[in-house]
Amino acid sequence: MTPISHVRSLVACLRSTLVSIASRRRIEREMEAELALHIQIRTADLIRTGLPPQDAARQARIELGNPLTHKEGMRSALGLRWLDELSADLRYAIRYLRKSPVFTAVAVTSLALAIGANTTIFSVAKQVLYERLAVPHAADLRLLAWTGSQDHVAVHHIWGDYYSQLPGGRVASSSFAYPAYQQLRAQNQSLQDLMAFKSTAANVTVGKVPERMGIEMVSGNYYNVLAVEPQMGRLIGPSDDVTTEEGTVAVISDGLWQRAFDRSPQVIGQVIHVGYVPLTVIGVNPRGFTGAKNVQQSPDVFVPLSLQPLLRPFNDPNSANEAGNSASGLENPTRWWVNIMGRTRPGIGDAAAQSALDTQLSAIVRATMPVRKGEDLPRLELRDGSRGLFVQKEIFAKPMAMLLTFAGLVLLLACANVANLMLARGSQRQREMSVRLALGAGRTRILRQMLVESLLLAFLGGLCGLLTAYLGRNIIPKLTQNAWERTDFHVNFDWKVFAFTAAVTLFTGILFGLVPAVAAARAEVTHGLKEVSLSVTRRRSVLGNKSLVGFQIALSTLLILGAGLFLRTLLQLHAIDPGFRTDHLLLAEINPPERRYPAGADVALHRRFEQSFAAIPGVESVTLAADPYVADDTSTTDFLPQGMKYNPQGHFEEAINIVGNAFFQTMQIPIVAGRAFGEQDTAASPKVGIINRALANKRFPGQNPVGKFFRTEDHDADGHGSTTGEDWIQIVGVCGDTRYATLRDDPPPQFFLPYVQQKQVGGMTYEIRTRLAPEQIVPALRRILQQADPDLPIVDLRTQQQQIDAALQQERLFVTLTSGFGLLALALACVGIYGVMAYSVAQRTNEIGIRLALGAQPDNVRRMILRESTVLTGIGIVVGVAGALALARLVKSMLYGVPPYDPVTLTGGIGLLFAVALASSWIPARRAASIEPMRALRHE
Amino acid sequence: MTPASTDKSADLLQGTLDLLILKAVSLGPLHGYGVLLRIQQISGEELVIQQGSLYPALYRLEHQGAIASEWGESENNRRAKYYRLTDLGRERLDSETARWNRMSGIINGILRATPEEA
Repeated sequence: MTPISHVRSLVACLRSTLVSIASRRRIEREMEAELALHIQIRTADLIRTGLPPQDAARQARIELGNPLTHKEGMRSALGLRWLDELSADLRYAIRYLRKSPVFTAVAVTSLALAIGANTTIFSVAKQVLYERLAVPHAADLRLLAWTGSQDHVAVHHIWGDYYSQLPGGRVASSSFAYPAYQQLRAQNQSLQDLMAFKSTAANVTVGKVPERMGIEMVSGNYYNVLAVEPQMGRLIGPSDDVTTEEGTVAVISDGLWQRAFDRSPQVIGQVIHVGYVPLTVIGVNPRGFTGAKNVQQSPDVFVPLSLQPLLRPFNDPNSANEAGNSASGLENPTRWWVNIMGRTRPGIGDAAAQSALDTQLSAIVRATMPVRKGEDLPRLELRDGSRGLFVQKEIFAKPMAMLLTFAGLVLLLACANVANLMLARGSQRQREMSVRLALGAGRTRILRQMLVESLLLAFLGGLCGLLTAYLGRNIIPKLTQNAWERTDFHVNFDWKVFAFTAAVTLFTGILFGLVPAVAAARAEVTHGLKEVSLSVTRRRSVLGNKSLVGFQIALSTLLILGAGLFLRTLLQLHAIDPGFRTDHLLLAEINPPERRYPAGADVALHRRFEQSFAAIPGVESVTLAADPYVADDTSTTDFLPQGMKYNPQGHFEEAINIVGNAFFQTMQIPIVAGRAFGEQDTAASPKVGIINRALANKRFPGQNPVGKFFRTEDHDADGHGSTTGEDWIQIVGVCGDTRYATLRDDPPPQFFLPYVQQKQVGGMTYEIRTRLAPEQIVPALRRILQQADPDLPIVDLRTQQQQIDAALQQERLFVTLTSGFGLLALALACVGIYGVMAYSVAQRTNEIGIRLALGAQPDNVRRMILRESTVLTGIGIVVGVAGALALARLVKSMLYGVPPYDPVTLTGGIGLLFAVALASSWIPARRAASIEPMRALRHE
Repeated sequence: MTPASTDKSADLLQGTLDLLILKAVSLGPLHGYGVLLRIQQISGEELVIQQGSLYPALYRLEHQGAIASEWGESENNRRAKYYRLTDLGRERLDSETARWNRMSGIINGILRATPEEA
């Protein structure tokens, strides 16, 4: 036969088996009928030869032989026999597990928790790190980005992602100037059509109430490139992306449609206001579409990119003298802010496309913007665009890897636990196995039987684990969101998650089932049947269990110490004095749009709100600041004391905050020299500033800075926030140091300017000290805003304490999850130690009986058992601590104020483990001590 | 014509049952008992087949796709399962026949050997 025939035969076999399984009853009937017919015809033939009918029938049956044997042979020929055996194994396993409910419950629970933990963490990690944009063929998308040297790249004004201090002293960003995008698009022949977009936020009014929402400004070909179809109406097309006039169009997200319009089809044609610009809703994005920036959460409103000059104009008088500077980002070649994406062109590799685009970009930069001497051109980089800008990689990759490792260790621990329980039971079942072997069962059959049992356990654990994970995935987003922001972040459960769970389940089933299965199959026939088998002290058989328990203790140690480190980190962070009083402080943000509040008007508006808020009964004091603290916001500006000359190569940048006059009083930051800002500081009075102690020490070592003058050079990139002048500013005071963007970083050198002396400030965060509860005061705030401007929302209302809690969210999440894992680990270790000690005592009943009969005191016996478990625990702990010390260095960057070898965590963790080990071996020890010698000796 | 179970009938050589079944059904569709009869008939009543081992063999061959079955009416109006040779089965019959011939040729050669040749 040819090889092809062999393949065909193989296919036929497979199909035949599947058909047989599917139509099992028909097959059985046919076999019956076929054999019956055989006997009938044979009987008839025999009658024809002269036999009497009754003898003939009997003769026919004898000739055919036992029909049961034949049918078994026929089934076996169809490949049905293994199935029958398997279902027998399964039935047996079910019966066995039902007979031992405690064992089953403990095993299934520990597996369910471990598998559930893994599935939860995996589904979150998948969502955050591996999920692609919900568009067709997302893998083809490429994101344009660039890199440049740290201090000398020709790009100075970036609004968007910016990564500094990359290897080789480079910086990277995926923001481009709009004119550069247009020219790249026109010249591009290495990718398919290039589209541009920009995700930002704006005040959106749907109906009456203004709200801060995420918006995405998109180029006319955006939806075309992404190949997205609307679920209703139409999407933004090239004809929409041409006008900067009012009365243009918007597409809304599925979420906003649900939230604000209750999924009404009437939404099409309705007018919503985005930053005072009336826009007609023309369509609704498909469900699941999250825009091009990220895969977690969709912006609510999508508008044409041509609206940028109306929605987010660039106004920066300081750089007005630069060539080509314009408030319109569409014309300004020096402001880099749009993100560019395109799909790969068939036949052109990424490297070729990147080098072609890089050449084009260099030419475009040279042609459109000033490149000063010593500055280098940005080098274009083609990145994977299937996950949007993928900023979350920097933030989440390491924590997720850490959590997955933790979860994996828990799984290993659960496996060890179940294997241990099964081994202990396996020795109880040695008789059963011996009997089965003696009766002729094959060793493979027994191996399979045991594996079926463990896989059944694993399957039950996996099923419950999936349920646990389902709960977990609903809880995790709640742990990651803060108190005042609405998030749509949810974790998808899809086939990948199910596949992961199935794979983990199978893996665990085999992992914990293999050792007990092999042990059972190796059972000696005669050994197990001997009545006296228990009288021997069989230390060797306990050895397997003991090393498993030791392993469990080592893993628990690892997990407990890990949890301890994160707990200590959180406590250390909570113990930090941020340098200002955090209690009874309410934060709220007001962003007056530039269109209605140009330079000067915004300052006046803030002044008005500051005074009105201060007049609310119950408010102790009010101030405002460009950057709230511990909120990941920073502004930096060049700080040039008198007598120091600016040069572009130097580093003069310091942290700056633009604040209200009552700032130091409201925040209760001490003034250590000079004075605080006060009513005397106005737009008309001489310019003043205050520096903190760190800045005084850095820039004025050994001098009194009060009375000295400095100047600022504003390099604020986003045209948002402070606009300071060239005037000399006098230092009138020195204040205490405060944390700035984060709690973790030491207080930076910092200086303060009063907002009333600025030309323009834009959005500010109000800081209100009051003993009232937030809900008591917020209506009054809203009323004041409503009277001043009904379209102006007050956003991000939260207390300073909530802000700090949100900043510590990741740390708290770590503590919650790792402590959960740690507790689970302790519980499993408990079960393990108890199990192995109880088993060991039961096995040694005889020996202990003899010891007692020969005069050993019960106390001695108890101590002997406890010593045994303590030694075991000790060995496990030593191994665990070694592993923990090795692994802790990897999480060092996630810790704060605790060294990886933190002695407090080490002693605490080790103490806890010893205590748990002692507690769980106490009952077996007591049982051993209370053995009656006579009973023990008669036991056999 | 009946399958006789006499002492002189030859025992079936191991592994040749499949070949015989294939040959039998290659001459026309047969039900199980018919296969038995035809083999005995062709062998001139020399060969006796264990009736019981026939059915597992038939199922195995069908499982492997060498024969196919269909339910039909038997000579005396009883429903019976008829087996026929498939293309795959014909191929297998040919190759196994060739192998058998080669084998028996070799063995015959060996058995014919005279002392001079050895």
